[in-house]
Amino acid sequence: MLKPKNDLLQGTLVLLVLKTLARGPLHGYGMTLHIQMVSKDILRVEEGSLYPALHRMEQDGWVGAEWGISENNRRARYYRLTAKGRKQLAEEEKNWDRLTQAVAHVLQFA
Amino acid sequence: MSWITRLRGMLRRERLDQDLDEELRAHLEMRAADNLAAGMSPGQARHEAQKRFGNTTLLKEDTREVDIIGWLDEVARDFRHALRMLLRNPGFTVVAVLTLALGIGANTAIFSIINSVLLHPLPYHDPDNLVMVWESNSQHPKLHNTVSPPNFLDWQSGNTVFSTMAFVFDERDNLTGNGEPQEVVVQDVSANFFSLLGVDPIIGPGFTPENGQPGHANVVILSYGLWKERFASDPAIVGKSILLNGHPQTVVGVAPQNFQWFIKDGSLTGAKPQMWSPFVFPQSFHDHKQIGRFITVVARLHPGTTHSQAQTQMNAIASRLEQEYPDFDGHWGVNVVPLRQQISGDLRPALLVLFGAVALVLLIACANVSSLLLARAASREREMAIRTAIGASRWRIARQLLMESLLLALIGGGIGVALAVWGTNALLAASPRNLLDLRFVSMDLFVLAFALAATLLAGLLFGFLPSYISAHSRISETLKEGGRGSSSANRRAFARNAFVVAQLGLALVLLTGSGLLIRSFVRLIGVDPGFDTGHLLTFKIALPRSKYGTDPRCLAFFQQLLARISAVPGVRSASMESFPPLTGLGAATGVHLLSQPSLALSDLPVADVGVVGPDYFATMSIPLHAGRLFNTQELAQEKHVTIINQAFADKYLHGVNPLGQKAAIYMKSFAENEIQPSEIIGVVGDVHQIGLDTSPEPTVYWPHPELVMSGMTILVRTSNDPFAMVSAVRKELQQMDPELPMAAVATMDQLLADSLSRSRFTMLLLGIFAAVALVLSAVGIYGLIAYSVTQRTQELGIRIALGAQRRDVLRLVLGQGTRLTLLGVTVGVLAALGFARLLSTLLFGVSATDPITFAGVAALLGFVALAACYIPARRATRVDPIVALRYE
Repeated sequence: MLKPKNDLLQGTLVLLVLKTLARGPLHGYGMTLHIQMVSKDILRVEEGSLYPALHRMEQDGWVGAEWGISENNRRARYYRLTAKGRKQLAEEEKNWDRLTQAVAHVLQFA
Repeated sequence: MSWITRLRGMLRRERLDQDLDEELRAHLEMRAADNLAAGMSPGQARHEAQKRFGNTTLLKEDTREVDIIGWLDEVARDFRHALRMLLRNPGFTVVAVLTLALGIGANTAIFSIINSVLLHPLPYHDPDNLVMVWESNSQHPKLHNTVSPPNFLDWQSGNTVFSTMAFVFDERDNLTGNGEPQEVVVQDVSANFFSLLGVDPIIGPGFTPENGQPGHANVVILSYGLWKERFASDPAIVGKSILLNGHPQTVVGVAPQNFQWFIKDGSLTGAKPQMWSPFVFPQSFHDHKQIGRFITVVARLHPGTTHSQAQTQMNAIASRLEQEYPDFDGHWGVNVVPLRQQISGDLRPALLVLFGAVALVLLIACANVSSLLLARAASREREMAIRTAIGASRWRIARQLLMESLLLALIGGGIGVALAVWGTNALLAASPRNLLDLRFVSMDLFVLAFALAATLLAGLLFGFLPSYISAHSRISETLKEGGRGSSSANRRAFARNAFVVAQLGLALVLLTGSGLLIRSFVRLIGVDPGFDTGHLLTFKIALPRSKYGTDPRCLAFFQQLLARISAVPGVRSASMESFPPLTGLGAATGVHLLSQPSLALSDLPVADVGVVGPDYFATMSIPLHAGRLFNTQELAQEKHVTIINQAFADKYLHGVNPLGQKAAIYMKSFAENEIQPSEIIGVVGDVHQIGLDTSPEPTVYWPHPELVMSGMTILVRTSNDPFAMVSAVRKELQQMDPELPMAAVATMDQLLADSLSRSRFTMLLLGIFAAVALVLSAVGIYGLIAYSVTQRTQELGIRIALGAQRRDVLRLVLGQGTRLTLLGVTVGVLAALGFARLLSTLLFGVSATDPITFAGVAALLGFVALAACYIPARRATRVDPIVALRYE
């Protein structure tokens, strides 16, 4: 029950993480790679924002976390989407659509 | 619930930190590995990975903060809101906080005493395995009788339940040399006494087993207090020699500051020890015929042995001794008492009753505050309904209200603890000597934890119902009706009525207890002690046998001393007794009336023996009932005469004329052929020897020559303030022997007050608590009636407008109060009938169901409650119908 942060980047990061995790459990480093790759190097996630965001989402019950072994045999903390997180993702996607549409409208009529 | 995770986060902070470190390290390493694969040099790969991370510490802090801040944030928000609500209603807040402070403070104060007296660990090693071993005679009520040395030796050799047994007996000795002569209380102990208790001296080697051998016992351990006062804490005291009764003794140790050994039931001096000295039984102590019962025995149970196992085995040993020595041990058994029980035995019932009383006071306080909260919740119903309407959950509202309650409780608790600190000091100042051990009562962490627990419990207790009702009120109803007549309002009204009834009931229980104690006390001080206690100075003199070895010298000394003191201006008369009333123990033994059949020694009638000086009965104002008093010859030489008291005549002679009868008093010896019977020449009035609450024992008096004792209590009847005579009397004493101290100087009035102190103390405290309960419950019913008058203003206005008279309105409002009062008093009387039985050990001369007390307190409570209702009822009669109808 944190105060919702209204800065766009925060919200975007949550959306990106949730979307990434919708494909399956992943560790923090994997997420940075994935987002960077899928966005064709346009979006680069800052570690300094990623980990606080991940932990906050964990507190809010959107993601769960457990220790696992990475592809190259390292111990890493894997995050996965919870049912609550899935609902949140739908919500965030809807919000994002509304936001982008709104921005598009503004741009059209400006 | 996310805040649970966060709470866990707070508790497991260290774990979390490690997890976070590891998580971030894994990230760094993976990035570095990929960089390496992309062709960077190892150093470059690491550096680049680190750089992307930026400030790692900041990152960690940011992440960690997430774990705890959110939770704290919410609590803080509730807390701030609660504080604002309390500040907005300062009147309510002050009343509630003070009520709680009284309740919690009283609980904390009494608990701190209980903690010290009943729960505090005793200053001995493994104290739970320590027991006292007493003798007890099936024909006498005394359960803790001192022990005979030969029996002690038989117990020691015959038992397998104790790892060690030790003995103690105390006496007053004269400490001379280095300064003023001083009488000190010395405990003569077996050499293993300190090792049994597991206490080492703070300096010096202490007693060794060798000190238990004849010829090696001339050593002493000093108490910390004596070492400090008499020897200025001399660090080189060990090895030095001191003079005790004129004999040199080597100091081998100083006891720790918190060490003491004082068992009232076995103490011959009635005073705490200042010195310990090993004692070796002389040959006569091995013979059942030659020595009486006077030592106190302490033993350590073998690990794993229970108290009841020890009791069982000691019973077997006792019955064996009974068969072996029927004359001496007939009817005598053994009583094993855990040390803790022994020490707290006296105070335990009083403290538990007081603790129960303060718990009731706290309950009343909680009911009061709860009632206030209910009244306030009604006026806040709209606020809550609106909050619910805009989406606050029930839990959220209940939590908010509970937070307010806890905040109230915490403030009240804080002030309460401050009150308790102050109150405990006041209690200790008011509490008599010998009743509480001042050193031990302190506010430790345990007491504070108790106060906190009481506070939180109280907060939940009084906060639960109001917040539950508010959280479950139906919004639609509330918004429609403006909060009146809704189902939650009905529930609140019912709860408040129930609280008032409960308060009145609880207050009645306390008032009954206090009333019973007051009546007991009045009965107690109405008891005639049997002698005149006014203007009577007492002090003890113990002649060292080394200097006044023979009987004639002792006799002469005391005769001369009394003659000198009697001649001092302002002294009306002076005398002495071996064990005068109210000064501690007495000596008792078997008495054989020759006109009655001969019995085994242990089956004979038992009487206290008092050895008296010239003019004793006149000085004490003890009346002569028959016969005559001792004459000059009998007071100067052994003439084999005795005077008995009325209790002796009533109990053992059953109407037969006692005068001229011969009585063999087994005091100097237990062998019949060695005893010269004494002729009874007079009967005197009874004296309460132990205290006013104990009935007088059969007693025989001997003039001093019959049994010359070296330690006597001098009694001086003065014309004016007895204490003003002390220096004049001391001067006479010092002219006779400058080395003799006056010990235990007191007035008889003081000793009488001391003997009543426990009763007075308990009565006073319970009285205070009952008064607090009375006031709180009066405030409670006043608040309820006042509130209901405010709520019914409109209705009352209509009634008045329709022609209701002042009388009718008064009857209407008072009717409500009367019903509640009657109900409360009824509930209270029923509860008090149950509770009062717990008091019975503290009562004297009053039954626990004393109808006068019950009727009196019920009337008092009823009157106060109705008086409290009358104030708002009068206000109701002055309701202006015009204003009332415009009220909405």
